[in-house]
Amino acid sequence: MSPNDTAARLGVPPELSDRGLGSPEAVPSQKAEIRNVNFFYDRFQALKNISLPLHDKRVTAFIGPSGCGKSTLLRILNRIYELYPGQRATGEVLVDGENILEPGLDLNLLRAKIGMVFQKPTPFPMTIYDNIAFGIRLYERLTRSELDDRIEAALRRAALWDEVKDKLRQSGLGLSGGQQQRLCIARAVAVEPEILLLDEPASALDPLSTQRIEELIAELKDDYCIAIVTHNMQQAARSSDYTAFMYLGELIEFDETERIFTHPTQKQTEDYITGRFG
Amino acid sequence: MDLYTRRRIANAVVMSLSIGATAFGLLWLVLVLWTLLENGIAAITPALFSQMTPPPGSTGGLLNAIFGSVVMTLIATLVGTPTGILAGTFLAEYSRGSRFGEVVRFINDILLSAPSIIVGLFVYEVMVVRMGHFSAWAGSMALAIIVIPVVVRTTEDMLNLVPNALREAAAALGSPKWKVIVMVSYRAAIQGMVTGVMLAVARIAGETAPLLFTALNNQFWSTNLNAPMANLPVVIFQFAMSPYADWQVLAWGGALLITLTVLCLNIGARALASWSTFKQ
Amino acid sequence: MAADIALVERSAAQQGRAGSLGDTVFRALTFLFALLVLLILGGVIVALVEGALPALRTFGISFPFSDVWNPVTEKFGALAPVYGTLVTSAIAMLVGIPVAFGVAVFITEISPIWLKRPLATMIELLAAIPSIIYGIWGLFVFAPFVQQYIQPYLIDSLGQIPGFGALFAGPPLGIGVLTAGFILAIMVLPFISSIMRDVFETVPAILKESAYGLGATRSEVVRQIVLPYTRIGIVGGIMLGLGRALGETMAVTFVIGNAHRISVSILQPGTTISASLANEFTEAVGDLYLSSLIALGFILFVITFVVLAIAKLMLLRLQQRAGG
Repeated sequence: MSPNDTAARLGVPPELSDRGLGSPEAVPSQKAEIRNVNFFYDRFQALKNISLPLHDKRVTAFIGPSGCGKSTLLRILNRIYELYPGQRATGEVLVDGENILEPGLDLNLLRAKIGMVFQKPTPFPMTIYDNIAFGIRLYERLTRSELDDRIEAALRRAALWDEVKDKLRQSGLGLSGGQQQRLCIARAVAVEPEILLLDEPASALDPLSTQRIEELIAELKDDYCIAIVTHNMQQAARSSDYTAFMYLGELIEFDETERIFTHPTQKQTEDYITGRFG
Repeated sequence: MDLYTRRRIANAVVMSLSIGATAFGLLWLVLVLWTLLENGIAAITPALFSQMTPPPGSTGGLLNAIFGSVVMTLIATLVGTPTGILAGTFLAEYSRGSRFGEVVRFINDILLSAPSIIVGLFVYEVMVVRMGHFSAWAGSMALAIIVIPVVVRTTEDMLNLVPNALREAAAALGSPKWKVIVMVSYRAAIQGMVTGVMLAVARIAGETAPLLFTALNNQFWSTNLNAPMANLPVVIFQFAMSPYADWQVLAWGGALLITLTVLCLNIGARALASWSTFKQ
Repeated sequence: MAADIALVERSAAQQGRAGSLGDTVFRALTFLFALLVLLILGGVIVALVEGALPALRTFGISFPFSDVWNPVTEKFGALAPVYGTLVTSAIAMLVGIPVAFGVAVFITEISPIWLKRPLATMIELLAAIPSIIYGIWGLFVFAPFVQQYIQPYLIDSLGQIPGFGALFAGPPLGIGVLTAGFILAIMVLPFISSIMRDVFETVPAILKESAYGLGATRSEVVRQIVLPYTRIGIVGGIMLGLGRALGETMAVTFVIGNAHRISVSILQPGTTISASLANEFTEAVGDLYLSSLIALGFILFVITFVVLAIAKLMLLRLQQRAGG
């Protein structure tokens, strides 16, 4: 199959394939696939038959009005919903071919592979050093200098190292909101996950911090498969490669971000993007 | 008199009565503390802390009683605190909506307000009778049973205040549940839990009834936990009810000591609580 | 690199298994200690029943209704202590509830914001003062005061009313049922007041604001909005205070006079269950004497348990209603 056939299959217009998006090396591999997933809060069905792929080294954004289920879907990917009784999911989520919704799966190991950053910054009540070390110490036996290196690397990745390198022994709670969120991102990448889940990571932050987080995501995507939930459409348009639009628990449309925002195929998508509701 | 004036008078009456009631309550606080200070200060001498309880009609101190109270309070705290923390942890972290959890919480709150003399009777039947003699161990256990419900309650309340987002963040890193609790939840709730322990200690510092038939009393210096041990509250009871002036002075002194300890612990606990909320 | 990953994977799997072992152990540990709380209560019931059985078997159903208390002839009856317990608690409630209510209203509705915290703390210090302190204060300071000023006044005024005056008859002794009841009131009012305050705070602000907006006076808002809304909680708080008053020992022991008899006059000495236990237990000779005392303790336990259980149920009901 020629490159242009592949490009056509992906729906990439010919002019874009010059930019390399359609060339074989740039065809992103599929890291995960969500297949026919339904989700229930007790009797209430919050997600209806969702199926979509998540590509490696790309950012997939989930947008939609409040209550559409985008956060719920994200939280299925690391099965964090299992902390609460009465919540359950059906269907399959394949990560590297393995179904992670399998009942007997070790959830702690799963969550070491799939990292999550939450809406509100959640620094642990410990020093900055211990915050980052917490996840590492769960699964690895490192010497002091190895740990120091890992922590420095994580903080550099989160663009926080220069600001905190002299106060590693201070409490994480003493940082500003934007810094705390970058701390949480550093904490998540420190355990070297394969997928990063970001649940509205900038919604509680000021515009300047938000911008820095977005720049961070652009850098991080070179190494991780990233899924981000956002209620800020412009953010989705700016930062992501693929976008999924959801409404009332259903996946209305999934496509490359450029496509969604310039030529949406569904009326609902178009209405939401143009601000007619939501 | 028109309706409006009547209403205003009624309002003024109710408001004055409220102010009066508050003043009334505060009056007694001041009175008790004042007379305590007045009568007790005379007994605060170095001898109080260096001599033993004397036989009637002679002077002495309260050293053995102070020692006994400190020792038994310490043991009760060491036994009751971990017990209370673990039980409170169960209620907060593992018993979401379960029947068993509701029952335990209910029973715990009843134990919290139960007459302490009943606790003394219980420990008498279970320990003193079985052992054949009174002992400081029995006294400590009775005090521990009073500590446990207090610590259970505060631990559960404090753990419930820890935001779920923190637990999720730890779980999302792959942490097993017990590490989430011990390394994250406990750390987040530590100040509240310490406050709870301080309040529990303040409570048992002044308890007399549970010691009456467990540790009993001891006129002499003793470090034997397997025998009756002197303690401040029972000594105060004995000395105050007696007709001997020397004994009564010592009783006031002991009362002042206990009250100062209790008030410091209470105020300290409150200060700790408001300092931690201020910090956040 | 691959070897390193494999190593991490293996230790992660080990950690995973260790993690779930840690989870099982920790969960079992916390469960065990929660169970212990239940066992303590169970143990109390069993121990009390076991100790009380000889007396209950000997005296049977007449035990709670007989006012004989004779260690020499070994005839015991619970009526006098039970009566004393109930009457002192009743006096404590009669005096304590209105005062607690007034304090709660003041702190929540009248007091300026800067005064609320310190005031609440001071009232709560009343609860922190140990019972024995109230006892020694009551014996040496309050009782003589009552004997010199209050009791003669009561005898001369209320004691002269035909019929009702019998409640205030007799020589002014200072100690007695009334004195004990009054000290109990002071001890119990911070508990009742604190619960009332918590309960008053659950009234939604917009409800009160709607009433104020219509021109209601403060006392009207309290009487017609706050009180009906919090009725259940108030009763729960009162019952909690009652539970405390019933079981209070040391303060009562010092000032009640320790006389195993029932008098109509509340100026006379009497006894309560806890005071009898405190005074007589260590001196009790003879198994029947001891067993009768434990039987008294059992009766006290049953009464307080019932009162506290009702209080808790009412407070739970209010919590549910408030959506908590």
